[in-house]
Parts: sequence; C-alpha cells; structure tokens
Amino acid sequence: MNQRQRPVSQQRNQKPRTNWLAARPWLLAAALGPLFGACGVESHLEPYKQTDVVVSKGEQLVVLARKQHSNHEAEEGFVQCISDALAKGDSRLEVHSTKAFEDSMYPWFEPSTAPLSTDDLSRLLEKPEVMQQVKKTGVRYVVWLDGSTDRVASGGGITCAAGIGGAGCMGLAWWEDDSRYDATVWDIMQAESAGTIHADVKGRSVMPAIIIPLPFIARPQAAACRGLTQQLKQFLTSPHGYGAGPEPGIG
Amino acid sequence: MPILSRIRSLRVWSAIAAGVLLAACSSNVIVESKFPSPLVEALPVRMGIIIPEELYNYIYQEEIRDESLWTIALGDANVAMLNPLYSKMFRETRKVNAVPTDESLDGVLKTTLEKFEFDVPVNEKNKFVEVWIQYQLTLFEPNGNQVVVWPVSGYGKHQLGHSRQDAVQKAAVTAMREVGAAISTKFAQQPQIKTWLAEKQHESTAAAGVTTAQSEAKN
Repeated sequence: MNQRQRPVSQQRNQKPRTNWLAARPWLLAAALGPLFGACGVESHLEPYKQTDVVVSKGEQLVVLARKQHSNHEAEEGFVQCISDALAKGDSRLEVHSTKAFEDSMYPWFEPSTAPLSTDDLSRLLEKPEVMQQVKKTGVRYVVWLDGSTDRVASGGGITCAAGIGGAGCMGLAWWEDDSRYDATVWDIMQAESAGTIHADVKGRSVMPAIIIPLPFIARPQAAACRGLTQQLKQFLTSPHGYGAGPEPGIG
Repeated sequence: MPILSRIRSLRVWSAIAAGVLLAACSSNVIVESKFPSPLVEALPVRMGIIIPEELYNYIYQEEIRDESLWTIALGDANVAMLNPLYSKMFRETRKVNAVPTDESLDGVLKTTLEKFEFDVPVNEKNKFVEVWIQYQLTLFEPNGNQVVVWPVSGYGKHQLGHSRQDAVQKAAVTAMREVGAAISTKFAQQPQIKTWLAEKQHESTAAAGVTTAQSEAKN
C-alpha cells in the first residue's frame, strides 16, 4: 500500500510547481526573450566582380590562405570549409586540394614566395616549368582567403559553487566574435583579378546560468563560410549575377 | 622477505608515479613530413653534399618556466627536406663525407642547423605557435677552399588548436618549407655563388672547347 501511495504523494508535490510555471509563461519569456534577442549573427557580404568570367567544364579552382600577415591568417578549418562547400551542393565546382596544389607548385606558393599581386603572378608564370605545372594541375582560378575570426568583446561572469546539498551556477556571460574575410579570385590563365567578395559577420553569444549554464552560441565563422561559398558559386558560374565594377585602373 | 617484497613493490610504484609525473610535465614532438621536390630548373653543376651526423639526429630541448620540458626531434624532417631539395636543385649530386674530395665535382655543399627557436602562447590573446629556424650552408671548392657561408632562415606559425604539440609540429614544418623555398629560389642569386656559378660555367665551356678542338685535330 505504501509503495502504491508514494507516486501519488510525489505527483502531489510536483503538481503545484508545474502549475506555477504554466501559469506564468510570461515570466519565462520575459527572462529568456532578451537573451534570445541578444544572441545572433549579423552578416554583411559585399561582392565585386571585375570581369564576366565563368568556370567552364574541366576547369578547377583552388582555395588558398594568405599567410603573409604576422598577426592573423585565415584558419585551416575555414579554408577547408570553403573548399568542401564549393565542391558540394547545387552548382558544385571542381575544387583542387589545397595541400596538393601547394606541394605540386612548391616553392612558389609558400608564405614568403606566393605572388602578392597579379603582376607577381605574371612574372611567376613566365617560368616555363611553373606554367607547365599549373596546366598539369588543371587549376584556372585561385581563391585567396584573407582574414580571420577574432573575439572583439566579452563581458559578464558566471559563478559556480558546490556543496553537500548540491551544486549550481549563477550569472551571465556574453561575448562577440567578428569574422572578417576577403575572398579574391584570380584567373591564372589571364593573370588578372576577377574580383573580390568581402564578408563581415558578427556573432553575439550569451550564456545565462540559473543553476545550470545555458549556452546560446552564435557561430559567425560558419555563417561566413556559408555566405562566402554561396557568393563564390554565383560569382564563378553566372556572368550576369553581378554588376561589373569599374574598368581596372579607374577609380 | 615480505618486507623486502614490499620495498620492491614500493620502488616500482614510485618509479611508475615518477614516470607519469614526468610525462605530464614534458612535451615531445617528432617533426615528420613529406617535403615536395622544388619546381626549379637544375643548376648546371655537380655538387657533393655533406649532411653531418648531428643534422640526422638533431634534437632540440628547452625547459619553459612554469610549464614543461619540450623535446623536439628534427632529424627525420631534415633528411626528408634536404634530399629531394638538393637532388632537384643541381644537375648531379653525390653524398660526400668531408672536403677535400673528388675533383670531378664542381663544389661541395655542407648544411648545418644553427638555431631553432619556438614560442607557444600562454595567454588567450595570442593564438599562434611560432617557430624560427636557421640553417647554414657552406659552399666549398672540391679542394676544400671555402667559397661562401650563407645563413638561411625560415619562419612558420600555426594556429593553436587542441594539441600544442601538433601546432608546434605544423609550425616547424612550415618553417622548414620556408627554408627549402629560400634555398631553392635564392641560392643562385647570392653574389658570391653567382660569381662561382659563372666561373664553373666558363670552365665547362672552355673544357668543352678544348675537347672539340682535340677531336677535330684527331680527324
């Protein structure tokens, strides 16, 4: 009898709590609403196409990171994300492996030797062995990624404590990450720049802690990868998708 | 006997505990990578190559205060980088132990590793592991006369990920690739080497001229 009665007493004890929360959904919404509002991603993408080139069948592209800067560098994972995403989905492109390209072109695409301008590229392609190797790889376009994801602001704090009766945390922490990347497309065969896509994605994450921490994490780098990939596909497959910029050398 | 056995057992456990503690306080990195052959035109010289034993077994050790003892082994990577590099850079290469040597060679190149430095970030702001490495190339005439001493350095960095050791290994490989790039693209541009190469070119042209004249005289 006692065993049967126990669940009933537990239900009795829990019932008022459920009712209390159910009766006050506005309290929960009021507490979590601003937090959901504060957490989010803000994207700004700016494409600029100088030519009307499009990728033809059999032509490949390679995604490389600019490594000349001492304080930042496009992350290996980000380069891989762009490469993988370009090779998948609708209007997929033929993407050459970054490592295989750097190895086959060694030592001409290392941090200290990689061409910084299309003039440098022209000079590099004057070397017959380099030009021959480029043709062998089948790569026509190089997508240079420049930029990084950095934490630009953070604040708040969470305090946790544990005792015999239990453990819990209390507080609120927040942080803001900024993903800024430029994807510059070079046409190797023409030794000219086809254009640039600039992406600036800000992500604000919050983590309130009421007994347990609840992370609402924004991922600006992933959003930048998705945005840049979408723009790059459009950039390289549709000649009329973008308004052509001014003639090179003007403005 | 039981007391002795207990003491032995205690020793074993102490040794295991000390080993575990030492392992926790040390970081070991073996730099390994495949280095590609450089895409350069071979210089028209027959070069003897000296790679000293120290380069094959190079191990760098540094104790970082409040952190751990770092042991970085670069020997295998040195061999993996230098062999394909020199094979592609010169018309002909031959392993040589010392100078003076065989007069059939145009020159002898000795490579040593002079300096190795690395930095692992300790605060959150800096997120790159950095490696700086310097080799010294000494070019000799086959008779042992020194032509030039050329220090070549390379810098590499890699984002600090889940493993510090992995980041150090990747930064070291980048630095070594940079060294290889500098050697393969700038060797012939060094003023003394440029002059030496011109002399060798002149000598081989003159020798070819003499051979042609002798064969014509015979005919």
